[in-house]
Amino acid sequence: MGIGDMPLLAALRDKMHWHQARQMLLAENVANADTPGYRGRDLKPFEPAEQVGQRLAMQVSAGASNPMYIPLGGGTSPEFAVQQGTGFEVTPEGNDVNLEDEMMKVASNQMDYQAVTTLYSRSLQMIRTAIGRSA
Amino acid sequence: MNDFLSSLKVAASGLHAQTARMRVIAENLANADSTGKTPGSDPYLRQIPTFKTVFDSEVGGYEVQLGAVSHDQSAVESRYEPGHPAADAKGFVKYPNINPLIESMDMSAAQRTYQANLNVVSVTRQMLTRTLDILKG
Repeated sequence: MGIGDMPLLAALRDKMHWHQARQMLLAENVANADTPGYRGRDLKPFEPAEQVGQRLAMQVSAGASNPMYIPLGGGTSPEFAVQQGTGFEVTPEGNDVNLEDEMMKVASNQMDYQAVTTLYSRSLQMIRTAIGRSA
Repeated sequence: MNDFLSSLKVAASGLHAQTARMRVIAENLANADSTGKTPGSDPYLRQIPTFKTVFDSEVGGYEVQLGAVSHDQSAVESRYEPGHPAADAKGFVKYPNINPLIESMDMSAAQRTYQANLNVVSVTRQMLTRTLDILKG
């Protein structure tokens, strides 16, 4: 297992990818701010990879609206898996592009990204400390 | 390709489009008094820049481009100047349909959008630098 596959670092890496993708969409919004008919786009809020990429096992069973009904039993396996894509979902913003709002989003995207990269390098420092090199 | 370089390219397309818009505005302002030369001829007509969204498959995103530059349909202004070389039989000269106030407002809007695109470029560059800082540890 490489260092990059550690759960913590993998989660931070996913978050960095998310910020990259969001920066792309924000750049599109600003570039097309004066294009008639253009609808601004943004990413859905980030969800950790454990929730996004995991196969969700869901239970389904037939309910009875009246206790007198004969209950359905057995049959096919009630379990099925829902595969969710690991890609980030793009949502329309609903209204026209507002330059001030976009600037605020760009700034917050940058600050969050800085936080993630700082966490990432701190995690690497911790690993260095663990293998006996003073950081 | 969906990284910071793509964001930079998209923002650069915005800078290009706004620069082209500024050029059209400059042409309009420079030709605010350009009349025809022969009697009754048409003057310079105000140009209006349009934008269109294009998908760049290399970048994987929607860039902006300057679309067709069309003429303003509003009526031209006629002034009574019998001695002018472009005056018609009744002594009226057609002047361009350009309002300097509208042009300067357009110019401010173009400048503001340009600055916004520039801001995206500098923020993206800073984020890229932060990524490289991870290497330094």
